[in-house]
Amino acid sequence: MIAIVNYGMGNLASVKKALDALSLPNLITDNHEDIKRADAIILPGVGSFHQGMQNLEDRGLVGLLTEEVLVKKKQFLGICLGMQLIFKHGTEPYPCAGLGWIDGTVIKFEDGKLRVPHMGWNTIVPVMENVFPHDLNGDYYFIHTYHAVPENSKVVAAKVNYMGEVVASVKQDNIFATQFHPEKSQKLGLALLSAYFQGHA
Amino acid sequence: MLKLRIIPILTFNGFALVKTKQFGNPRMVGNPVQTARVYNARGVDELVFLDIFASTQQRKLNLKLIGDVIKECFMPVAIGGGINTLEDINDLLQIGADKVVIKAKALSDALFIKEAVRFFGSQCISIAIDASPSEGKYFIKQNEAKELISVGDFIDQMEDCDVGEYILNATHHDGMMNGFDLDLINFVSGLTNKPIVAVGGAGNPAHFVTLFTNTTVEAVGSASIYHFTQYTPLDVKLELKKNGFPVRL
Repeated sequence: MIAIVNYGMGNLASVKKALDALSLPNLITDNHEDIKRADAIILPGVGSFHQGMQNLEDRGLVGLLTEEVLVKKKQFLGICLGMQLIFKHGTEPYPCAGLGWIDGTVIKFEDGKLRVPHMGWNTIVPVMENVFPHDLNGDYYFIHTYHAVPENSKVVAAKVNYMGEVVASVKQDNIFATQFHPEKSQKLGLALLSAYFQGHA
Repeated sequence: MLKLRIIPILTFNGFALVKTKQFGNPRMVGNPVQTARVYNARGVDELVFLDIFASTQQRKLNLKLIGDVIKECFMPVAIGGGINTLEDINDLLQIGADKVVIKAKALSDALFIKEAVRFFGSQCISIAIDASPSEGKYFIKQNEAKELISVGDFIDQMEDCDVGEYILNATHHDGMMNGFDLDLINFVSGLTNKPIVAVGGAGNPAHFVTLFTNTTVEAVGSASIYHFTQYTPLDVKLELKKNGFPVRL
């Protein structure tokens, strides 16, 4: 069973719908026993970094998720805000601490000539060919104002071009995360979820 | 490269899909759930679903029906109509909406928009602007009230709230299918760096080429062309691609 962590930050129903469509058993939950019992964990979420951390803390989930993912090495997927929160530092709306599983900072797109938020379908640039092989390369749906800057570029699984190359996905051991929304990226997104969770749910 | 977003807009009267002309004469055009299913199968970039009478009829959105519409969609969906409270927004996000579209409440209560952005994040708060020209300027009519607010003043207020995007409709072009109001779109583009969905006036694929050639917007929303002509979003994209624009096929 895949636990979709409910911490009051946005669109959980779409993640569930995508997993249901793939016949992957799943549960939207903030219950600690459910999360401990799960084979894999998805941290979705939209909204502000600081609010997201606050909500995880209020539910006692910071320590629990860290234990399950970093110590027990449970398979993990972070989506959008759920990817940003696994970094050490956030800046939205002011500097604050994240879960800290990956070294780096989440910063705002600088004012430039492109529109912000970065919103719409954009083509990823795969870095880890095993994570994003040919059939998972293509257009995914992005909607974000902040982006992650890892300290170690070795964790970058894919990039995307928007005011220069920014991080679209990271992978470190059992931790995988995407800035884009696979659950909103139609067939390609479903294929990515299917590939990642195949045999692990 | 970021692709242009080609978005069908479904307008709803509480029972069925309808399409207006210059915001009048609603004509029935079909069943919302079936239509959403077709658009999902066609792989459209995004879908906007608006209950255009919810505010004036002081109705709440039909969450059951909207939930059924969203269930059909594996692409982003924006929902609007009669949104007045944070609970309304939360209800829609809970059933899988990615964005909410707010019009009347934004005109009457900018502070509410600020609060909504702080609570849910700017990315899910889309603001609908229905603009009409008068004596060389663009105005928005407040619901029911006769009072007009200039588009410039309204955008100023919304920029201060840090909303996520604007869905910009030219009311005098609504349903007319004779092309977009490029002046309006360029005027608003000059006031904001947020994404703008240009709406109102598409009647054939060439209109979209004209739009993207003469403005800096990256998204377009349309209804009549998909209801009343043989053209589909794919036809629009193929024409854009032929003219060198980035689209997702």
